[in-house]
Parts: sequence; structure tokens; C-alpha cells
Amino acid sequence: MKSWHRYAITLVGGIAVGLGGAWGLTRGGLGDGAIRNGPWTTSLGYGTKATDPLTRAMVARSGLLALPAKETLYWMARTDASGARLDGNCRYRLSGKPLDARWWSVTVYDAKGYLVANPANIWSVNGASVPLDDKGEWHVTIAPDRPADGAWLPGIKGQPFDLTLRMYNPGAGVRAGPSAAALPAIVKEGC
Amino acid sequence: MRRWIGPLAFGLIAALAVGYAAIAAIPYGMMKIAMDRLARGGINQMSQGPLATPARQPVVRPSPDLAYSSCPFDLAAGPVEIRVVPVAGRYSSLSIFDAATDVAFVRNDVEAGGKPYRIIVARDGQAVPPGAEVVRVGHDRGIALIRLLLKDPAEIGSLDAIRRQSTCRTVTKSK
Repeated sequence: MKSWHRYAITLVGGIAVGLGGAWGLTRGGLGDGAIRNGPWTTSLGYGTKATDPLTRAMVARSGLLALPAKETLYWMARTDASGARLDGNCRYRLSGKPLDARWWSVTVYDAKGYLVANPANIWSVNGASVPLDDKGEWHVTIAPDRPADGAWLPGIKGQPFDLTLRMYNPGAGVRAGPSAAALPAIVKEGC
Repeated sequence: MRRWIGPLAFGLIAALAVGYAAIAAIPYGMMKIAMDRLARGGINQMSQGPLATPARQPVVRPSPDLAYSSCPFDLAAGPVEIRVVPVAGRYSSLSIFDAATDVAFVRNDVEAGGKPYRIIVARDGQAVPPGAEVVRVGHDRGIALIRLLLKDPAEIGSLDAIRRQSTCRTVTKSK
């Protein structure tokens, strides 16, 4: 083998490792485990002027055009309160007190982050659409079929699903201590 | 084996250089894809996107509660003027992102006092209309995005006329 053959081989290998490494390092994004609060995770890094190329690339891949935390906090959940993967065949109770934000909504996505068709054409609930009970709490049933009463968010039958909670203009307390903020509980009721 | 030491060191340097260059290029690539998708309504023009549904999802995790209006801009021919008309009692915001995905400007309806406002987006050194509020950006290209929050998707019909009052255009003369 000639010397330039060895250089050519390691050059091709180096390019492949460099590209693969760059893609792997920027995968997952800032929403994955940066700040945890029960089953919810978020980051305060979206919508800011990134200070280093790696952060900028991670944000570009996971939250392109996302707003900064002062405008919107984006929380993601993939599991229920017990840590089990959210399952579209199961029934969950999503509940809590009114959240400390000007407006909030919870949206159901598939595991890749896309909306999935359902007969009711409902993909989200928001603070204006859920009534409060005597204790000042709201409740939503996430299930593949409409419950007998109460607010309903259709699950994705036969698939795991993700939830995204958006808090628009979150309160100063939430921004100062997001990991201790009061967020909705996600409790499995049955499958 | 010793004959591989030089080539392996060379390969390692190539991997680091390519990795760094790729990480630096990712934001520009993602932004270009987003601009190309949004530019179907025209560059330096405000386009009112339809609400996200399973059949219409231009980005990952689209919000079904938000009506998006977007203006992919290019400052090569001069600064761009953006006029925003908030909708009373609804959260709305204007955000401006540059070609590197960095946020250059954000203002919501409350910060705007619920009143219409005008922003000039310009490169450093570009002449701008006197007295205008100016946002300077480091790249020619970028995206201005207006989000309007709906209580119910059915509201879009009644709010569409107001949202179409927000505009985007190239400023050709600095009046």
C-alpha cells in the first residue's frame, strides 16, 4: 500500500467520523433533560443569542424559531407520573391548578413530534377551555375515546405519544425556578 | 504499523475540522430550509399561514393554537419595514431571527401597549428612515414571525382580517 493510500483512507474515515459526530452531538436538543419537573422537561436556552456553536446547532435542530423563556416556556413529557411511557391505548387524567402564565396549552404529538388525525379534530386543550372544580382545579381526560363527561384530549390509538405544554408569558416565579413550578399531573387511570 | 501514525493523526485532524465545520453550518442549513418553505408566499412579504392540522405541518411540533404569519426577509436590496397590528385581548408577538437562528428582537402585544407598531430591520451601515425603531442584524437573510394565539381554532375566520393588516416590505427610499 502506498503512503497516499493510507492518507486517503484516514481522510475518508475522518470526514465520516466528523459528520457523524456533529450530527450525534447536536441530537436531542436542549429539551432533553436540561431542566426536569416531574415528567416534564424544558430548557431556558431557546430563543436566545447562542453563545457557542454547539448550543446554537442543538437549538436549531430541536427548537428552530422558538421563543425565549420570557415569552414562552416549552415543556415536553413522554412519560406519566410513574415514569411509564405515554401510551395512546391508555386513559390518563391530566389535572392541576391554573398555571402561572398568561396563557397555557397542552398538545398531543406522536413520538416524532407531529399532530395525528382524529375524528374530533382536537389536538390541544388550553387554560380558557377547561373549567375549574370546587377546589379550583381543572381536569382533562386523555384517552382514545371520548369520556362520558368532562374535557377530553384524544390520545393516539395504537401508538406512544408525547405532550407539549406551552406557557405563554410565564410568571417571574416560574422563570426563576422552573424545576419547582406547579405543573399539571399526568396519572394513568387504566388501559 | 508505524507507517499509519502520520495518516491516523491526519484523519483525526480531519475529523475535528469537519465536525466543527458541520456544527457551525447546521443552524444556517436549518434556517435555509425553513426560509425556503416559508418563501412560497414571497420574500419580503408577510404571508398568513393556515392553522396547523395533521395535513399541514410545516415545522415539527406546530402549535394548533397559533396563527402564524411569516416574512422571510433579504436585506440585500435595502432595509425591511415590518408593521404589526395586535389583536385586542389576544397574545401575539413579533420575533425576528437572523440566518444563524439567533433572536434579534421579540415584542408581544402587552409590551406594545396593544397598539400597532413599526420596526425597520437593517444591516449595520444601511441608511434607515429617520425616527424609526431599528433592529440591526448581522446577516442579510432571516425570518420575521408573528404569532397570534387563538382561544379556539374557529376564531381564525373572524380574526383573519385584522391579522392581514400586519405587513412586511422593502424600504427602497429612506423617507
